[in-house]
Formats: sequence, C-alpha cells, structure tokens
Amino acid sequence: MKKGDIIICAVVFAVALILAVVFFFAKPEGKTLLVKADNKVIYEYPLDVDREITLEHNTAVIKDGSVFMLSADCKNQICVKSGEISKRGECIVCLPNRVILEIR
Amino acid sequence: MSAEQGNSRNKIKRLCIYALLTAVCLIIGYIESLVNFGFIAPGIKIGLANSVACLLIFSRDIKGALLVNIARILLSALLFGSPLSLVFALSGGIISLAAMIILSKCRQFSVIGVSAFGGVLHNMAQCVVGACVIGVGIFYYLPVLMISGVLSGALVGVLSGLILNRMKSENNVQ
Repeated sequence: MKKGDIIICAVVFAVALILAVVFFFAKPEGKTLLVKADNKVIYEYPLDVDREITLEHNTAVIKDGSVFMLSADCKNQICVKSGEISKRGECIVCLPNRVILEIR
Repeated sequence: MSAEQGNSRNKIKRLCIYALLTAVCLIIGYIESLVNFGFIAPGIKIGLANSVACLLIFSRDIKGALLVNIARILLSALLFGSPLSLVFALSGGIISLAAMIILSKCRQFSVIGVSAFGGVLHNMAQCVVGACVIGVGIFYYLPVLMISGVLSGALVGVLSGLILNRMKSENNVQ
C-alpha cells in the first residue's frame, strides 16, 4: 500500500459522494411518469393519481406520488429490487425487456 | 540451432501460460457469476478475473495482459453472454486495462491503487455504454458504481499483491 493508492481511493470516494449529493438532494419532485420501451415514450401518466400499469412483461405501480416496479418476468429482477422513485430524472430500468420508467 | 530451439520453446511456454491464465479467468468469472451480490446493489460483482490482468501487468508483461484479457472477454461472451453483454464487457475491459497499464508505469502506485482505479474506470465505461443503450438516466447510478468499483478493485489489488509476493519469494516470476 503506497501513498498514491490512498489518494486514488480518497479522490474516487470524494467524487462519488459529490455526485451522489448533487444527484439525490438537488432534485425537485417529479410530476409525470414516462413509460419508455425501446427508448420511445409509449405512455405518460400524472403522479398524483394512483394506478397500476400493466405492460407486456412488467407491472408498474403509481402510489402516493412515487413509482415502483411491482413485477417483471425477467430473470434478474433488478428493476423490481430498485425500489421507489419520485424525483425528477430518476428512473427504473428493466434492461432485459428494454423498459424504462422515468419521472419528469 | 540450439538458441533457435530455446527461443521457440520459450514461445511455446509463454503460449501455454497465456492459455492457462485465460482458462483460470473464465473459471473465476463463471464461479463469480454463481454468487449473487445483488443484495448490496444490483449489478455488482467483484471482478476477480481482473487479478490475472494485474499479475501480468506487474510482471511487466503488457502484451500478455492485453491478449489474455481480450481472449477472456470474447470467450466468456461466447460461452455465457450475448452480443450486448460483449459490448459492455469489451468497453469496460479495454478502458480499465489501458488505465491500469498507464498507472502501473507511475512509481507512486502499488497494485492496490492500480486495480482500484481499473475497477472504477471499468464501471464508468460500462455506465457510458449503458447510457448509449438505454438513455442518460442510468448516470444516476454512477456514484454507487464508482464506490463499488473502487472497493472491489482494491480487494482484487490486495489479492494480486499477495500472489505477486508469493511469486517473488518462489523466485519464478514470469
């Protein structure tokens, strides 16, 4: 372990922390949910109305102004595990089914 | 004649070592894919196969590191992956390897720092490719990827350091 190693780790941690702060705290709450498939917007819903959205391979839910993926038929289930989103610019990605839920 | 024989014998030995290391990489990668680190954060892995690249770079065998790494990426994509996963793995692999080679030329960094930096750049490159494939929203995941990259990279670096010491004391550095 040399001094340079510690500097690298410290710099990376600092940059990541700054990015995280910028990304997660400087963001306003979103108003609408965009549902994209193959990078094209297929649905648009307001966040203040609770509803369940059934897609070809996934089920998404809008509840109390935030969005989460209820189920997906893919193997890795990463989108289901990514939890809730509510801030502008946040998104849930299901890479196997090429589905993106994005808040605007 | 004998010098020529020795030369070709050396080449064959080298080829065998590269093939062996590539096989080791593939097996490590496969075993790693069986263990799911998704409970920490989705898409995270240690990248133990990178220790082979570290060993080769720090044994001053840059050409070997390049050859083994590219062979590993192509073969693992053929065996376990898809065209899309090949693009991800290739971008991360080549950029992190390039960064590690450049950084290893500086005397200020040991194998731990070099590996940690390689890990971070691997994840950042994959994030950029991810942005091209599915949109820029994925950049929100970058801080998590950077921290996991530096931690797993440092871990691989510590491991590679141990192996390098062992190789030196056995006095058969390749």
